[in-house]
Amino acid sequence: MTFSRSRAGWAIHLLLRLVVGGVFVYSAWTKLREPWSLFAISIDAYHVLPQWGVMAVARTLPWAELALGLLLIVGLWRRVSTLAASALLALFFGLMVRASVHGEAIDCGCFGPGEAISPWTLLRDGSLLAGSVFLAVKSFWRKKPMSPRAGGSESLIEAHVGDGRNLTA
Amino acid sequence: MKLPVFLLLALLPSVVSAEADRAKSFGNPGAPLTIELFSDFQCPACRALHMQQLPLLIRDYINPGKAYLVYKEFPLNMHKFSREAAAYACASARVGKYEQVADALFQNQPSWEESGKVFEIVASVLSPAEQKKVQALAKDPSILQEINSDVQEGQQERVNQTPTMIIVRGGKKYPIGGSLNYDLLRRFLDDLLTK
Repeated sequence: MTFSRSRAGWAIHLLLRLVVGGVFVYSAWTKLREPWSLFAISIDAYHVLPQWGVMAVARTLPWAELALGLLLIVGLWRRVSTLAASALLALFFGLMVRASVHGEAIDCGCFGPGEAISPWTLLRDGSLLAGSVFLAVKSFWRKKPMSPRAGGSESLIEAHVGDGRNLTA
Repeated sequence: MKLPVFLLLALLPSVVSAEADRAKSFGNPGAPLTIELFSDFQCPACRALHMQQLPLLIRDYINPGKAYLVYKEFPLNMHKFSREAAAYACASARVGKYEQVADALFQNQPSWEESGKVFEIVASVLSPAEQKKVQALAKDPSILQEINSDVQEGQQERVNQTPTMIIVRGGKKYPIGGSLNYDLLRRFLDDLLTK
Protein backbone atom coordinates (compact mmCIF):
# COMPACT_ATOMS: atom_id res chain seq x y z
CA MET A 1 0.00 0.00 0.00
CA THR A 2 2.76 2.38 1.02
CA PHE A 3 4.80 1.27 -1.96
CA SER A 4 2.04 2.05 -4.49
CA ARG A 5 1.21 5.42 -2.89
CA SER A 6 4.84 6.48 -2.95
CA ARG A 7 5.17 5.28 -6.52
CA ALA A 8 2.16 7.35 -7.59
CA GLY A 9 3.57 10.34 -5.70
CA TRP A 10 6.90 9.89 -7.43
CA ALA A 11 5.21 9.75 -10.85
CA ILE A 12 3.15 12.87 -10.16
CA HIS A 13 6.24 14.66 -8.91
CA LEU A 14 8.18 13.72 -12.04
CA LEU A 15 5.31 14.68 -14.35
CA LEU A 16 4.90 18.06 -12.65
CA ARG A 17 8.62 18.73 -12.91
CA LEU A 18 8.59 17.88 -16.60
CA VAL A 19 5.50 20.01 -17.28
CA VAL A 20 6.70 23.09 -15.36
CA GLY A 21 10.24 22.70 -16.71
CA GLY A 22 8.95 22.15 -20.25
CA VAL A 23 6.81 25.27 -20.09
CA PHE A 24 9.81 27.30 -18.92
CA VAL A 25 11.97 25.97 -21.77
CA TYR A 26 9.24 26.60 -24.35
CA SER A 27 8.63 30.10 -23.01
CA ALA A 28 12.36 30.86 -23.23
CA TRP A 29 12.58 29.49 -26.77
CA THR A 30 9.67 31.66 -28.01
CA LYS A 31 11.53 34.74 -26.72
CA LEU A 32 15.07 33.81 -27.72
CA ARG A 33 14.16 33.08 -31.34
CA GLU A 34 12.97 36.72 -31.77
CA PRO A 35 14.84 40.00 -31.21
CA TRP A 36 14.99 40.76 -27.49
CA SER A 37 13.41 44.16 -28.17
CA LEU A 38 10.09 42.45 -28.97
CA PHE A 39 9.98 40.99 -25.46
CA ALA A 40 11.02 44.40 -24.09
CA ILE A 41 7.86 45.91 -25.64
CA SER A 42 5.74 43.24 -23.89
CA ILE A 43 7.42 43.94 -20.52
CA ASP A 44 7.03 47.68 -20.95
CA ALA A 45 3.28 47.28 -21.44
CA TYR A 46 2.98 46.32 -17.74
CA HIS A 47 4.34 49.76 -16.73
CA VAL A 48 6.26 48.50 -13.71
CA LEU A 49 9.88 49.08 -14.69
CA PRO A 50 11.90 52.03 -15.96
CA GLN A 51 13.27 51.63 -19.48
CA TRP A 52 16.73 50.45 -18.38
CA GLY A 53 15.05 47.82 -16.19
CA VAL A 54 12.82 46.72 -19.08
CA MET A 55 15.85 46.26 -21.32
CA ALA A 56 17.85 44.42 -18.66
CA VAL A 57 14.97 42.02 -17.95
CA ALA A 58 14.25 41.47 -21.65
CA ARG A 59 17.87 40.47 -22.25
CA THR A 60 18.30 38.19 -19.23
CA LEU A 61 14.93 36.68 -18.30
CA PRO A 62 14.64 34.27 -21.27
CA TRP A 63 18.06 32.79 -20.40
CA ALA A 64 17.04 32.46 -16.76
CA GLU A 65 13.84 30.73 -17.86
CA LEU A 66 15.83 28.36 -20.05
CA ALA A 67 18.24 27.50 -17.23
CA LEU A 68 15.42 27.00 -14.73
CA GLY A 69 13.46 24.85 -17.15
CA LEU A 70 16.45 22.61 -17.83
CA LEU A 71 17.25 22.30 -14.11
CA LEU A 72 13.64 21.30 -13.43
CA ILE A 73 13.60 18.74 -16.22
CA VAL A 74 16.95 17.21 -15.29
CA GLY A 75 16.15 17.38 -11.57
CA LEU A 76 19.29 19.17 -10.43
CA TRP A 77 19.37 21.67 -7.53
CA ARG A 78 15.72 20.97 -6.88
CA ARG A 79 15.28 23.29 -3.91
CA VAL A 80 16.82 26.25 -5.67
CA SER A 81 15.15 25.59 -9.02
CA THR A 82 11.64 24.95 -7.67
CA LEU A 83 11.84 27.91 -5.33
CA ALA A 84 13.08 30.22 -8.10
CA ALA A 85 10.42 28.92 -10.52
CA SER A 86 7.71 29.50 -7.90
CA ALA A 87 8.96 33.01 -7.19
CA LEU A 88 9.04 33.86 -10.91
CA LEU A 89 5.61 32.39 -11.57
CA ALA A 90 4.19 34.19 -8.53
CA LEU A 91 5.61 37.46 -9.90
CA PHE A 92 4.17 36.85 -13.40
CA PHE A 93 0.81 35.82 -11.98
CA GLY A 94 0.68 38.86 -9.69
CA LEU A 95 1.47 41.22 -12.57
CA MET A 96 -1.16 39.62 -14.77
CA VAL A 97 -3.81 39.82 -12.04
CA ARG A 98 -2.87 43.46 -11.43
CA ALA A 99 -3.20 44.33 -15.14
CA SER A 100 -6.47 42.44 -15.33
CA VAL A 101 -7.91 44.21 -12.25
CA HIS A 102 -6.91 47.59 -13.73
CA GLY A 103 -8.67 46.67 -16.95
CA GLU A 104 -5.48 46.93 -19.00
CA ALA A 105 -5.92 45.02 -22.26
CA ILE A 106 -2.28 44.04 -22.74
CA ASP A 107 -0.39 41.05 -24.07
CA CYS A 108 0.71 38.65 -21.37
CA GLY A 109 4.12 38.26 -23.07
CA CYS A 110 4.22 34.64 -21.87
CA PHE A 111 5.03 32.95 -25.18
CA GLY A 112 5.82 35.82 -27.52
CA PRO A 113 3.45 38.52 -28.72
CA GLY A 114 -0.23 38.31 -29.63
CA GLU A 115 -1.70 36.64 -26.55
CA ALA A 116 -3.82 38.99 -24.46
CA ILE A 117 -4.28 38.50 -20.72
CA SER A 118 -7.52 36.57 -20.30
CA PRO A 119 -9.20 34.22 -17.82
CA TRP A 120 -7.48 31.38 -19.71
CA THR A 121 -3.97 32.85 -19.30
CA LEU A 122 -4.67 33.50 -15.61
CA LEU A 123 -5.91 29.93 -15.13
CA ARG A 124 -2.88 28.53 -16.96
CA ASP A 125 -0.35 30.59 -15.00
CA GLY A 126 -2.21 30.00 -11.73
CA SER A 127 -2.10 26.24 -12.31
CA LEU A 128 1.59 26.36 -13.15
CA LEU A 129 2.23 28.38 -10.01
CA ALA A 130 0.31 25.85 -7.90
CA GLY A 131 2.31 23.01 -9.45
CA SER A 132 5.59 24.79 -8.91
CA VAL A 133 4.79 25.62 -5.28
CA PHE A 134 3.87 21.98 -4.71
CA LEU A 135 7.26 20.93 -6.12
CA ALA A 136 9.06 23.48 -3.95
CA VAL A 137 7.28 22.33 -0.80
CA LYS A 138 8.04 18.70 -1.62
CA SER A 139 11.70 19.45 -2.30
CA PHE A 140 12.09 21.05 1.14
CA TRP A 141 10.17 18.29 2.85
CA ARG A 142 12.00 15.43 1.24
CA LYS A 143 14.53 13.68 3.48
CA LYS A 144 15.56 10.88 1.12
CA PRO A 145 15.79 10.79 -2.65
CA MET A 146 12.43 9.85 -4.14
CA SER A 147 12.27 6.61 -5.97
CA PRO A 148 9.64 3.91 -6.14
CA ARG A 149 12.13 1.33 -4.86
CA ALA A 150 13.29 3.30 -1.85
CA GLY A 151 9.90 3.16 -0.23
CA GLY A 152 9.60 6.84 -0.99
CA SER A 153 9.52 9.94 1.11
CA GLU A 154 5.75 9.66 1.44
CA SER A 155 6.14 6.81 3.89
CA LEU A 156 8.76 8.79 5.79
CA ILE A 157 6.47 11.82 5.97
CA GLU A 158 3.55 9.70 7.06
CA ALA A 159 5.61 8.12 9.80
CA HIS A 160 6.75 11.49 11.17
CA VAL A 161 3.34 13.11 10.87
CA GLY A 162 1.85 10.08 12.61
CA ASP A 163 3.93 10.56 15.74
CA GLY A 164 3.56 14.34 15.74
CA ARG A 165 7.24 15.22 15.26
CA ASN A 166 8.40 18.19 13.26
CA LEU A 167 9.77 17.06 9.90
CA THR A 168 11.98 20.07 9.33
CA ALA A 169 13.58 19.94 12.77
CA MET B 1 -16.17 31.09 -71.09
CA LYS B 2 -18.01 30.82 -67.78
CA LEU B 3 -14.84 30.03 -65.82
CA PRO B 4 -12.96 33.30 -66.60
CA VAL B 5 -16.06 35.32 -65.63
CA PHE B 6 -16.36 33.38 -62.39
CA LEU B 7 -12.67 33.90 -61.65
CA LEU B 8 -12.97 37.60 -62.39
CA LEU B 9 -15.93 37.93 -60.01
CA ALA B 10 -14.12 35.93 -57.35
CA LEU B 11 -11.06 38.19 -57.60
CA LEU B 12 -13.06 41.44 -57.61
CA PRO B 13 -13.37 41.87 -53.80
CA SER B 14 -9.60 41.48 -53.33
CA VAL B 15 -8.95 44.00 -56.12
CA VAL B 16 -11.36 46.49 -54.47
CA SER B 17 -9.74 45.82 -51.09
CA ALA B 18 -6.24 46.32 -52.53
CA GLU B 19 -7.32 49.64 -54.04
CA ALA B 20 -8.83 50.74 -50.74
CA ASP B 21 -5.60 49.74 -49.00
CA ARG B 22 -3.56 51.84 -51.43
CA ALA B 23 -5.68 54.91 -50.65
CA LYS B 24 -4.94 54.44 -46.95
CA SER B 25 -1.28 53.52 -47.32
CA PHE B 26 1.85 55.58 -47.08
CA GLY B 27 5.44 55.04 -48.12
CA ASN B 28 7.17 52.63 -50.40
CA PRO B 29 5.14 49.44 -51.08
CA GLY B 30 8.43 47.62 -51.68
CA ALA B 31 9.84 48.59 -48.26
CA PRO B 32 11.33 45.73 -46.19
CA LEU B 33 8.80 46.28 -43.41
CA THR B 34 5.02 46.66 -43.62
CA ILE B 35 3.15 48.13 -40.68
CA GLU B 36 -0.58 47.49 -40.59
CA LEU B 37 -2.11 49.82 -38.05
CA PHE B 38 -5.52 48.78 -36.71
CA SER B 39 -7.10 51.70 -34.91
CA ASP B 40 -10.35 53.23 -33.74
CA PHE B 41 -10.91 56.98 -34.12
CA GLN B 42 -12.64 57.21 -30.73
CA CYS B 43 -10.02 55.31 -28.74
CA PRO B 44 -7.76 57.55 -26.57
CA ALA B 45 -4.72 55.25 -26.92
CA CYS B 46 -5.10 55.42 -30.73
CA ARG B 47 -5.19 59.21 -30.46
CA ALA B 48 -1.99 59.19 -28.40
CA LEU B 49 -0.27 56.90 -30.90
CA HIS B 50 -1.44 58.98 -33.85
CA MET B 51 -0.33 62.27 -32.33
CA GLN B 52 2.87 61.24 -30.53
CA GLN B 53 4.51 58.15 -32.00
CA LEU B 54 3.17 58.07 -35.55
CA PRO B 55 4.87 61.30 -36.69
CA LEU B 56 8.19 59.86 -35.45
CA LEU B 57 7.51 56.57 -37.17
CA ILE B 58 6.74 58.39 -40.42
CA ARG B 59 9.89 60.49 -40.10
CA ASP B 60 12.23 57.58 -39.26
CA TYR B 61 10.79 54.66 -41.25
CA ILE B 62 8.03 55.60 -43.72
CA ASN B 63 9.65 58.61 -45.38
CA PRO B 64 13.10 56.98 -45.75
CA GLY B 65 11.41 53.98 -47.44
CA LYS B 66 12.20 51.47 -44.68
CA ALA B 67 8.55 50.73 -43.91
CA TYR B 68 5.19 50.82 -45.64
CA LEU B 69 2.26 51.99 -43.51
CA VAL B 70 -1.26 50.66 -44.08
CA TYR B 71 -4.15 52.04 -42.03
CA LYS B 72 -6.89 49.57 -41.07
CA GLU B 73 -10.19 50.43 -39.45
CA PHE B 74 -11.08 48.64 -36.25
CA PRO B 75 -14.05 50.53 -34.76
CA LEU B 76 -14.96 49.07 -31.39
CA ASN B 77 -18.63 48.56 -30.53
CA MET B 78 -18.13 50.26 -27.17
CA HIS B 79 -17.52 53.59 -28.96
CA LYS B 80 -20.69 55.27 -30.19
CA PHE B 81 -19.27 57.29 -33.09
CA SER B 82 -16.30 55.13 -34.12
CA ARG B 83 -17.99 53.50 -37.09
CA GLU B 84 -19.32 56.83 -38.39
CA ALA B 85 -15.86 58.36 -38.09
CA ALA B 86 -14.33 55.35 -39.86
CA ALA B 87 -16.89 55.68 -42.68
CA TYR B 88 -15.99 59.36 -43.21
CA ALA B 89 -12.28 58.56 -43.11
CA CYS B 90 -12.63 55.75 -45.67
CA ALA B 91 -14.79 57.99 -47.86
CA SER B 92 -12.13 60.72 -47.60
CA ALA B 93 -9.52 58.22 -48.79
CA ARG B 94 -11.45 58.03 -52.06
CA VAL B 95 -10.87 61.77 -52.59
CA GLY B 96 -7.24 61.47 -51.45
CA LYS B 97 -7.74 63.10 -48.05
CA TYR B 98 -7.46 60.20 -45.61
CA GLU B 99 -4.44 61.53 -43.75
CA GLN B 100 -5.89 65.01 -43.31
CA VAL B 101 -9.23 63.65 -42.09
CA ALA B 102 -7.57 61.15 -39.76
CA ASP B 103 -5.42 63.97 -38.31
CA ALA B 104 -8.49 66.17 -37.78
CA LEU B 105 -10.53 63.36 -36.22
CA PHE B 106 -7.79 62.40 -33.77
CA GLN B 107 -6.88 65.97 -32.88
CA ASN B 108 -10.51 66.87 -32.15
CA GLN B 109 -11.52 63.54 -30.67
CA PRO B 110 -12.61 64.97 -27.27
CA SER B 111 -14.96 67.47 -28.93
CA TRP B 112 -16.78 65.20 -31.42
CA GLU B 113 -17.05 62.27 -29.06
CA GLU B 114 -18.83 64.66 -26.70
CA SER B 115 -21.05 66.39 -29.28
CA GLY B 116 -21.43 63.58 -31.83
CA LYS B 117 -20.81 66.10 -34.62
CA VAL B 118 -18.30 64.00 -36.51
CA PHE B 119 -18.89 65.46 -39.96
CA GLU B 120 -18.24 69.02 -38.74
CA ILE B 121 -14.65 68.00 -38.01
CA VAL B 122 -14.31 66.05 -41.26
CA ALA B 123 -15.68 68.98 -43.27
CA SER B 124 -13.13 71.36 -41.76
CA VAL B 125 -10.34 69.84 -43.89
CA LEU B 126 -12.34 69.32 -47.11
CA SER B 127 -13.38 71.65 -49.91
CA PRO B 128 -17.17 72.10 -50.43
CA ALA B 129 -17.09 69.75 -53.44
CA GLU B 130 -15.16 67.12 -51.45
CA GLN B 131 -17.58 67.49 -48.54
CA LYS B 132 -20.53 66.59 -50.77
CA LYS B 133 -18.69 63.64 -52.27
CA VAL B 134 -17.51 62.33 -48.89
CA GLN B 135 -20.96 62.68 -47.34
CA ALA B 136 -22.47 60.64 -50.16
CA LEU B 137 -19.65 58.08 -50.19
CA ALA B 138 -19.85 57.53 -46.42
CA LYS B 139 -23.30 55.98 -46.94
CA ASP B 140 -22.12 53.81 -49.83
CA PRO B 141 -22.30 50.05 -49.13
CA SER B 142 -18.78 49.63 -50.49
CA ILE B 143 -17.44 51.80 -47.65
CA LEU B 144 -19.31 49.72 -45.09
CA GLN B 145 -17.87 46.64 -46.80
CA GLU B 146 -14.38 48.11 -46.60
CA ILE B 147 -14.70 48.71 -42.85
CA ASN B 148 -16.13 45.26 -42.25
CA SER B 149 -13.35 43.72 -44.26
CA ASP B 150 -10.73 45.55 -42.14
CA VAL B 151 -12.46 44.40 -38.94
CA GLN B 152 -12.59 40.84 -40.22
CA GLU B 153 -8.93 40.96 -41.12
CA GLY B 154 -8.14 42.25 -37.63
CA GLN B 155 -10.13 39.45 -36.04
CA GLN B 156 -8.26 36.92 -38.16
CA GLU B 157 -5.00 38.47 -36.96
CA ARG B 158 -6.29 38.16 -33.37
CA VAL B 159 -6.32 41.93 -32.83
CA ASN B 160 -7.67 42.21 -29.28
CA GLN B 161 -7.13 45.88 -28.56
CA THR B 162 -6.64 49.19 -30.30
CA PRO B 163 -4.27 50.40 -31.44
CA THR B 164 -2.54 47.27 -32.70
CA MET B 165 0.33 47.30 -35.14
CA ILE B 166 0.99 44.19 -37.15
CA ILE B 167 4.58 44.47 -38.27
CA VAL B 168 5.35 42.24 -41.23
CA ARG B 169 8.91 41.29 -42.16
CA GLY B 170 9.54 38.59 -44.77
CA GLY B 171 6.07 37.12 -44.35
CA LYS B 172 6.39 36.87 -40.57
CA LYS B 173 3.90 38.88 -38.53
CA TYR B 174 4.53 40.52 -35.17
CA PRO B 175 1.42 41.92 -33.47
CA ILE B 176 2.14 44.76 -31.06
CA GLY B 177 -0.78 46.25 -29.19
CA GLY B 178 -1.51 49.13 -26.86
CA SER B 179 0.30 52.33 -26.10
CA LEU B 180 3.95 52.12 -27.06
CA ASN B 181 7.29 53.39 -25.94
CA TYR B 182 8.74 54.71 -29.21
CA ASP B 183 12.32 54.06 -28.18
CA LEU B 184 11.60 50.35 -27.71
CA LEU B 185 9.58 50.19 -30.93
CA ARG B 186 12.48 51.80 -32.78
CA ARG B 187 14.92 49.23 -31.38
CA PHE B 188 12.61 46.44 -32.49
CA LEU B 189 12.16 47.82 -36.00
CA ASP B 190 15.93 48.30 -36.31
CA ASP B 191 16.49 44.72 -35.11
CA LEU B 192 14.04 43.47 -37.75
CA LEU B 193 15.72 45.53 -40.45
CA THR B 194 19.14 44.09 -39.64
CA LYS B 195 17.79 40.53 -39.27
